[in-house]
Amino acid sequence: MNDGFVRQLWHYLALIFLALLALAPIWVMIATSFKDDVLVQDGKPLWFFFAPTLENYQYIVTRGKFDRYLTNSVIVGAASTAITLLLGGFCAYALARTDFRGRTLMANSTLLVRMVPPAVLAVPAFAFVTFSGVKSDLAVLTFFYTALNLPFAIWLLFGFYKQIPVELEEAAIVDGATSLQVFFRVLLPLMKSGYAVAAIFTFRIAWNEFILALLLTGRTTRTLPVGAAGFITDTGVEWGRIMAMGTLIVIPPLLFTFFAARQIIAGMTAGAVKG
Amino acid sequence: MKGLIAKGLLAAGALALTTGLAVADPYEKYRGTTIVVSWPALSHFKKAEELVAEFTEETGIEVEIDALQYLKLRDRQLLEMSKDEGEYDVVSWVVMWKGEYVSKGLLTPLSQFYTSGSLVDPSYDLNDVADAYLQNGGVVGGTKGYMPGKSGAMYGVPFGAETSILAYRKDIFEEQGLEVPKTYDELRDVMAKLHEAGIPALTSRGKTGHQVTAAWLLHLAPLGGKIFDENWNPVINSPEAVEAAQVLREVAQTGPKGIPTFGFGEAAAAFLQGEAAMHLDTLKIAAMSRDPKLSKIDGKVGYALHPVGSRCGSETGGFAAGIPANAPNKEAAFLFLQYITSKKGDQRMVELGGDPVRISTLQNNADKFDEYSVVAEQLPCADPDWRPLIPEWNELNIDVLGQALTEVITTDKPIQPIMDAANEKARAIMEREGYYVWQ
Amino acid sequence: MSEISQKPRFEPGAFTPYAFIMPAIVVMMGGLLYPVVMAFYLSFYDWEIGRKLADAPFVSFDHFVRMVADPQVWEVLWVTIRFGFWTITIEMTLGVALALLLEKPIRGASIFRTIFILPLMVSPVVVGLIWRYLFDARIGWINYYLGVWFGIEPQVWLGDPQLAFFAIVFTDIWQWTPFIFIIVIAGLQALPSEVVEASTIDGANWYQQIFLVKLPMIKSILVIALLMRLIDVFRGLEVMLIMTGGGPGRSTELLSLHIYNRAFDTQQLGYASAISVLLIAIVFGISTVILTMANPMKSKSDV
Repeated sequence: MNDGFVRQLWHYLALIFLALLALAPIWVMIATSFKDDVLVQDGKPLWFFFAPTLENYQYIVTRGKFDRYLTNSVIVGAASTAITLLLGGFCAYALARTDFRGRTLMANSTLLVRMVPPAVLAVPAFAFVTFSGVKSDLAVLTFFYTALNLPFAIWLLFGFYKQIPVELEEAAIVDGATSLQVFFRVLLPLMKSGYAVAAIFTFRIAWNEFILALLLTGRTTRTLPVGAAGFITDTGVEWGRIMAMGTLIVIPPLLFTFFAARQIIAGMTAGAVKG
Repeated sequence: MKGLIAKGLLAAGALALTTGLAVADPYEKYRGTTIVVSWPALSHFKKAEELVAEFTEETGIEVEIDALQYLKLRDRQLLEMSKDEGEYDVVSWVVMWKGEYVSKGLLTPLSQFYTSGSLVDPSYDLNDVADAYLQNGGVVGGTKGYMPGKSGAMYGVPFGAETSILAYRKDIFEEQGLEVPKTYDELRDVMAKLHEAGIPALTSRGKTGHQVTAAWLLHLAPLGGKIFDENWNPVINSPEAVEAAQVLREVAQTGPKGIPTFGFGEAAAAFLQGEAAMHLDTLKIAAMSRDPKLSKIDGKVGYALHPVGSRCGSETGGFAAGIPANAPNKEAAFLFLQYITSKKGDQRMVELGGDPVRISTLQNNADKFDEYSVVAEQLPCADPDWRPLIPEWNELNIDVLGQALTEVITTDKPIQPIMDAANEKARAIMEREGYYVWQ
Repeated sequence: MSEISQKPRFEPGAFTPYAFIMPAIVVMMGGLLYPVVMAFYLSFYDWEIGRKLADAPFVSFDHFVRMVADPQVWEVLWVTIRFGFWTITIEMTLGVALALLLEKPIRGASIFRTIFILPLMVSPVVVGLIWRYLFDARIGWINYYLGVWFGIEPQVWLGDPQLAFFAIVFTDIWQWTPFIFIIVIAGLQALPSEVVEASTIDGANWYQQIFLVKLPMIKSILVIALLMRLIDVFRGLEVMLIMTGGGPGRSTELLSLHIYNRAFDTQQLGYASAISVLLIAIVFGISTVILTMANPMKSKSDV
């Protein structure tokens, strides 16, 4: 009994220590975002007790074009997520439910293109924007993010569709429903959590991505990460402002994590554990 | 043409007569236009935002500034300028890019505006703009194709242009009983003495790539070195070039900690925060040292000429601004350029804490700012061929020199072999690009 | 699930599955396959930013010949391999050890798990910024604590080749150890408890239990986690781009970052494309191994 208690105590202490390690750098960012330049340049770590200031946030909101970057990020994130879920959902459904020519090839190549490194996309994407004359950077970015996310979304949703008994659909078909009706009326409601996981992962990629956004967006179309990197200026890094920007960028992923940690873990382990 | 101008004058005269006071507003036609300006996130340009606001107020032309870290500017500008219609009306380039921009046909020759009577401000006085700045930043032509000279044409006006001067801490030098170095021997001596006294001597850029090469180039020219001989053979392993590398190593050893991570901003910050006794780089440091937000050393800084080695040779750098060939609002852009570099604009830049480009401004303010007389004296030494602005320079600058010089400042290995190896690589690049087929 | 019962549904139009699949295929072809093909194509040309692609000279296999003999490419490949070796070894060891240590379900486990996935959710740019700040030579907190706790002189972390390499490895470990931890713990908790209990009754001690029973049973999970991390090593560049830009020298320049720097720093777009082809080959090689080991779609399709 006593032995078990000590053990459990150690267990907790170890977990708390690890949790602090994971959290500390994020907290450093948040704390720094509330410091003025004098405190930052002083170089003394102040974790909690200092005179907080909002001037960094004030600056990025009033003069840092934060609203523009935020709008762009939201547009690209929402659009690419919606399109990914729609197209990826159709594709996963068909793959999970039918047997057709080229299915294995299709499954394999889906996983293969999932691995394409963004650095490889960079130059061709840049070439495409230069010569295609496409006017909207955001549309191009949405397109590439959708493509980047589709393989994983298909992989993930495929697993969820497989778990739904076919009998449900058969019953609907017997009642005279069409394929589309089956898809939207019967399957979608059951797939809610699957789509939620896929949405979180897709949105996260679009929200956080930097390289393609840096290359493909201009003055009016920059997304938040690109805007944040803009505070690395020629007169040094503006730490307070950049940390404030970083804090704001991190908010949505943090919210997702707190409200949907279970789904995120399901998504992360989907590839490894199920295989 | 003449007739047009005459008509315009008549019209203006008539207007002046009827209203009884002001002449016609040359900005009238462009009121409400928005022009987009791409320039770097350097101190001078941050100060210029105030001048831009005044421009808008006076002319009714709206300006949106897109400020980026200067090494990121070029990709962005090239991308915009190679589209059918670009976003930028004014671009500001580091002088070393001008050859590339012009050879790719991306800029508008400014002559077309100077022939338009309704745009040119008669009081502008182009000849008053420091010739070294104008030639190095704005004129492209000459036998090497990237230098001013015969067949040169004007594509830009200097704004935020610079050369290198020595800035030093008067208080530290006095305390240590040191003379301000005039030659490289004296400079090295001072560095050693300061280091012995436990004071970080000379701050410097040193980040891998462009930055460390720029730091080395600062010493290469005065020590008599070059990148190429007359036949495009690289000579970066010459005794002069190796000596420049040796100086750079000594700078890194006796200077503030962290030089291998310093870009321009970090190097300047070390000096401005009082963590180094000298700064030998752009004259921009002077205005920055007077800015309480950036500097803790206002009033303690003295200025001197860039020390001389075998010759006097100071940096040719900084920025000039021009108008892309695909700019949507070229005429308004020209009015903007003219405004910010006019006598009045130049004076305002000085008042706002920026750097002037005009001789008259330097003269008029010489009493106020110590460095202006030094700058005026330094300018004739600015070396227009400070770095070879050929397309291959990118690769040499970043991949070859940027790597070799990092090795110089982060290791104790003998320098000659490092520079020999770099020279081999440079030669291979030139050969690959077909430079020696005429030999 | 019976195969027969699935078929009749799409009988009326055999093209229906294709109609469901095609839109996704088209997007993936355009957004992923086309760039890959384009990278191949561009690697035969000497194209510069600001010029028309049509004006770019055709250079045949020049870029590839140059790449094979280019010590810089092999240098960054070596950096990438070393980076992969250290990060993956440490992350796997730490992650697995922690998972074994903490596998027993306890109250509040979900809170800790939530905290552990936070580093994974933070944008790479932000991760790079945070650690660049912490490792800063002048105002960085790491130097401060090393000085106060251990009396160590301030180090120029990101300005010394060895220290900078250590810094990016450290950063990666911070971000990715939780990933291994979570995957492994999920695998361990999915193990049938009878097997583990049986081994206890058989008198197996703790290390026998771990090395002879538990780890072999989650072997496939471990291998896949390892391969996924390996691919990430070849894909990642943002953190290093922000922290060091690849320097000093090329001490922190991973292959992906090298491609980026070649393309947009020194503007050799064609040559960068040739190196991309090398990267594609490497990544597809690793992916194929993963695929043959575990393709969830394949294993369940019985095709």
